[in-house]
Amino acid sequence: MTLVLPLAIPWFAAVALAALDGRRPAVGWAAVASLAAALVATAALAIRVWTEGPVETVTGGWPVGVGITLRADALSVLFSLLTLAVLVVCLAHEVLSGIESRLFPALVAFMTVGLTGLFLTGDIFSFYVFFEIAMVSAYVITGYGGRPRQISAAFVFAVVNLLGSFVFLIAIAATYHVTGSLEMGQVAERIADVEPSTVILIAVTVFVAFGVKLGLFPFHFWLPVVYASVRPAVAAILSGALANIGTYGVLRFGADVFPRELEFSASALVVLGVITILYGAMQAMSRRTAPEVIAYSSIGQVGYVLIALAIGGPIGYAAAVLYAILNSLNKVLLFLASGLRGWLVGAAFFVGVISVAGIPPAAGFFGKLEVFRAAIEDASVTLVALLFLGGALSVVYLLQIYQHVYWRPGGVAAGGEASPVVLRALTFAVALVVLALGLWPEPLLAASRAAAEVLVGGPE
Amino acid sequence: MTSLLTQVVVRLLLAPTIVIAAAVLAKGYSSVGDGFSAGVIAALGVIAVYLVLGAEQADRLLPVRLAPVGAIAGLLITLVVTFSSVVRGEPLLTHAPPPGADVIHLGTLELITAVAFDVGVFLLVFGAVVGILRTVALARSEAGS
Amino acid sequence: MILLLSAVVAVLFGAGAFLVLKTDLLRVVVGMVLISHAANLTLMASGLTRGKAPIYPLPNGEVSDPLVQAMTLTALVIGFGVTALLLGIAYRVYETHFAVDFDRLAEEEARREAELEQEEVSV
Repeated sequence: MTLVLPLAIPWFAAVALAALDGRRPAVGWAAVASLAAALVATAALAIRVWTEGPVETVTGGWPVGVGITLRADALSVLFSLLTLAVLVVCLAHEVLSGIESRLFPALVAFMTVGLTGLFLTGDIFSFYVFFEIAMVSAYVITGYGGRPRQISAAFVFAVVNLLGSFVFLIAIAATYHVTGSLEMGQVAERIADVEPSTVILIAVTVFVAFGVKLGLFPFHFWLPVVYASVRPAVAAILSGALANIGTYGVLRFGADVFPRELEFSASALVVLGVITILYGAMQAMSRRTAPEVIAYSSIGQVGYVLIALAIGGPIGYAAAVLYAILNSLNKVLLFLASGLRGWLVGAAFFVGVISVAGIPPAAGFFGKLEVFRAAIEDASVTLVALLFLGGALSVVYLLQIYQHVYWRPGGVAAGGEASPVVLRALTFAVALVVLALGLWPEPLLAASRAAAEVLVGGPE
Repeated sequence: MTSLLTQVVVRLLLAPTIVIAAAVLAKGYSSVGDGFSAGVIAALGVIAVYLVLGAEQADRLLPVRLAPVGAIAGLLITLVVTFSSVVRGEPLLTHAPPPGADVIHLGTLELITAVAFDVGVFLLVFGAVVGILRTVALARSEAGS
Repeated sequence: MILLLSAVVAVLFGAGAFLVLKTDLLRVVVGMVLISHAANLTLMASGLTRGKAPIYPLPNGEVSDPLVQAMTLTALVIGFGVTALLLGIAYRVYETHFAVDFDRLAEEEARREAELEQEEVSV
């Protein structure tokens, strides 16, 4: 029952919202309330998972491998909690600033259906189905606002990500062909006996599919166009909630299903990660508008997750999980703040800046710290130096944009009217959460270590 | 495209299409067939009407305005069936009554929750396909006028 | 059979990729349709068995693998929905830009940006 509620609430909410006019504030608030209810249900599930261990059920009472497995472990509940919290904040933000489209709340609810579904499933094919539900809602949400730029951004976003999805589908077909199963546990067991050259091909295909979602270095070209032309709340949803598919997917498939291939390709992943960090930072430095800088910054930040994943082991995985979570919180904060004007906003943006740069007391400090710890564990001086360089560059480009937007007399922030106080308060609340997580990081650190234990196959 | 012959044939074909769809839906429990293919078949009949008669005429001839309502109702039925088993204390998607138990018969059709699920899928697919088509067709004719 | 299927998948994917690289939006959509069918066919090929329909009580002799068919059916539905969506977005692009060609779209966008900049300067 605890496992089913987080899935059921968004489903029913989405169907009910699809029938209603989402432009009315009452409907918008009902949507926020139902997502908040799903968040509470997920929190109950998370507490059960953290105290009693993974919760699992197979649909239809079939044996494992025949029915679809639903599984909640420490990794999946952590990602669902984060994603739901981000979606609640972004939807509330959009309701407060006035929703323009009839379907927007329903689409966010459908995206929630897809995201919670894919975090809580233990079946590769239903992972794909939920992933498509989330992605299709995202394609429509990107066009939300209806400005010409947003619609052409939606087309580019849809085509590139659909290519990624179909590549992933081909990888699923190949996995089923060589293992005869779709259940992640069984696949992971049986794939150990399959010829390595076949498996590495499948693993690379899966990696390419998630790399497209994440905007990793060679597959990043669509990301700045999309993030810089959509509305701030939509950009926050895309980078704070939807991008979690990529990080979760890389962690789940890389560390759980293809651990041997992950180890084999570790050095290639480190190289890709470093290129991604440096490329993102260089591009971000050359841009002058806040959305573009944040977009390139989010390309760069994923590199840290990739490096932590490649280092592997309990410390590496814990660092990857922690960094992924903090990164999506930072991006939500920065994108929301970049769309607002007035006092408090500059402070919120600044918290985001120091969090991305990894300066205490913001939470981002612990993300960077854990990745550094993993790199030192790996005893690689070059890697530590490169990570440090990446961090330094992020300070430069973010402070540059901060100065450009908030300090310059007649800068962007000075022009125009101040945004409503509630919107600024909501954004500032996100900033306070980032600060609070930086001052009291133990719960998050413990949660990410528990998630890493699932991945290394520790105590179940 | 819109000769008298095609107009007559399309109207005549509509009823058999719906009957075939109903048959495919009903025989899904002892033979090949299911709600999804039934929905697609029924939608094909409506699409033919659209192609030949145009959006306005089709709107007058058939209750296609209700298509989104049908889709939402269908999705709701499937969701209720899916999650009702959890309320009964069984895993998700378990159908009732279980195999071997007595069921209510409607002719030769056995009434189990799987039938309700398939009817929901039928409504969802039919409603979604026709709804998408209608939206596109109306956008076209608005742009034309 | 597998050889035939893989050849067809390769041709479909290749043709799809070729079309996606064109500048015309409608060709891109058709290319995506072809690629989605390449993926569907791969799914079918991943569990290629010949037999009777696997409905309880199971018939004598071989039954075919129902899972690949279920997966392909689901993937087909997703592909269909996505195609409708892509066509919808392409139509909206046409409505707002009066063009379905990427080169002309870029021109249109550049023109609009220039106009916006002009306005800003005059303010």
